[in-house]
Amino acid sequence: MSVAHQPPLDIMQLEARVHSAVSSVDDPEYPGVSIVDLGLLESIDIGTDGTAQIGLISTFSGCPALAVIADDVTAAVQALPGVSGCKVTWLSAPAWHADRVSHEARASLERKFTVAVQIGLRATTCPLCGSKTEEQSMFGPSRCRSVHTCTGCGETVEVMRG
Amino acid sequence: MVLVMPRSWSSMSDFETFLNNGGIVEPDDAMPDEYRAAVFKFIELHANSEQMGGLTERDWIPRTPGLRHKMAVIAKTQDEFGHAHLLYMVAADMGIKTRRKMIEDLYAGKSRFHNVFHYRAKTWGHQVAIAFLVDAAALASQQAVFKNCSYGPYRRILKRIISEEGFHMRLGEDRMMRIAQGTEMQREMFQQAIDDWWWPALQLFGPDSKPNDLLLRWHIKSERNEVLRDRWVQKFVPMLQSYGFTIPDPGLHFDDDADRWVAGPIDWEPLKKTFANVGPDSARRIGEASSHWESSAWVRDALATPELVST
Repeated sequence: MSVAHQPPLDIMQLEARVHSAVSSVDDPEYPGVSIVDLGLLESIDIGTDGTAQIGLISTFSGCPALAVIADDVTAAVQALPGVSGCKVTWLSAPAWHADRVSHEARASLERKFTVAVQIGLRATTCPLCGSKTEEQSMFGPSRCRSVHTCTGCGETVEVMRG
Repeated sequence: MVLVMPRSWSSMSDFETFLNNGGIVEPDDAMPDEYRAAVFKFIELHANSEQMGGLTERDWIPRTPGLRHKMAVIAKTQDEFGHAHLLYMVAADMGIKTRRKMIEDLYAGKSRFHNVFHYRAKTWGHQVAIAFLVDAAALASQQAVFKNCSYGPYRRILKRIISEEGFHMRLGEDRMMRIAQGTEMQREMFQQAIDDWWWPALQLFGPDSKPNDLLLRWHIKSERNEVLRDRWVQKFVPMLQSYGFTIPDPGLHFDDDADRWVAGPIDWEPLKKTFANVGPDSARRIGEASSHWESSAWVRDALATPELVST
């Protein structure tokens, strides 16, 4: 990319601040786990007039938390000096996948919530003892999670899948 | 994390010392029978209440106004059944009743579930009051259990349930704001709902805890019923009044010296009736739940037939 096409420095700085503002928003069902770490943030576009366009993707369509998340993101971004407006859009592509969940978020889901994250067809392991888990029900309290039991310690484990 | 080896205690007083030092009991531990029975009964009540709550919520899917609220009600229905499922699994692991037995007892009217599910939600205003007032009361009770619960598997499940119930509260607040700022007709509907649901919500906390309450002594609950109830009153009285609604409690007054709201005397008879499954809507609720259970028997039969289930 030639230098002429790079955005001006102040827009890049603003973009970095917008990114950290979006990162400060937690999933409403997992306090302490950022939506960015869950892989929901797809794009940030800053206009020359200081408007921020945030592109998010949802884990599952029809997720009831979408409106709340969009409100929280808008509030966090609009509070930044230099931002003249914020528009959050739920993108229909790319599709969210569990491999978008960061290592930090995965560790936090395991440690704080006893929730495991299933990656592809790999067997899920128990957050407490590390043994394999067995699926009991395809659906748990939300569409993005199934319910397993641990074959080792017997713990009831929810598994985020996708 | 490595789980500790199963433990045992030589006497109840040893066990209580363990609990008083912040010890967490795991399913394989040789816990005293009385403790096992008390924890089981508590979790079964919670599971039954989530199950009956899911059925109530489900009734409202076709009746909910607006797509945004409807999506939330659909998701909340799944949440409640999902919570019930997790809780029934944890309860069944205690080895007192199987999951099926718990469901059968519930639908035969032999088990308890929370008082608020013994009343009928007749209008959207009622649904808003439930999501706003009743869910807050239920959440406060669950938080008080979670804070210091000595039974490990329940404590871990509660952490997730509470995060989700906290999210329901936000949806409830959103609904309340809309109806409170709505037309005169919507406001009247909500006032009626407050009149109908104020007392059941207050009674959800139960009568004052007894001095020798075993649930407190064994660190299953961490706060006394009257403390939780009072905190709820302090929060919701000023909030509802600030929106111009009245509280249906003639004895309610503000004590200037104590700088707090004091509720009038509570009639516990309605609560006792719900405990005996003879509340205003108990028969219909249990009857409907039981007919769903019977009409879905073929699904369970099919799932239990390996050649019908491809894996």
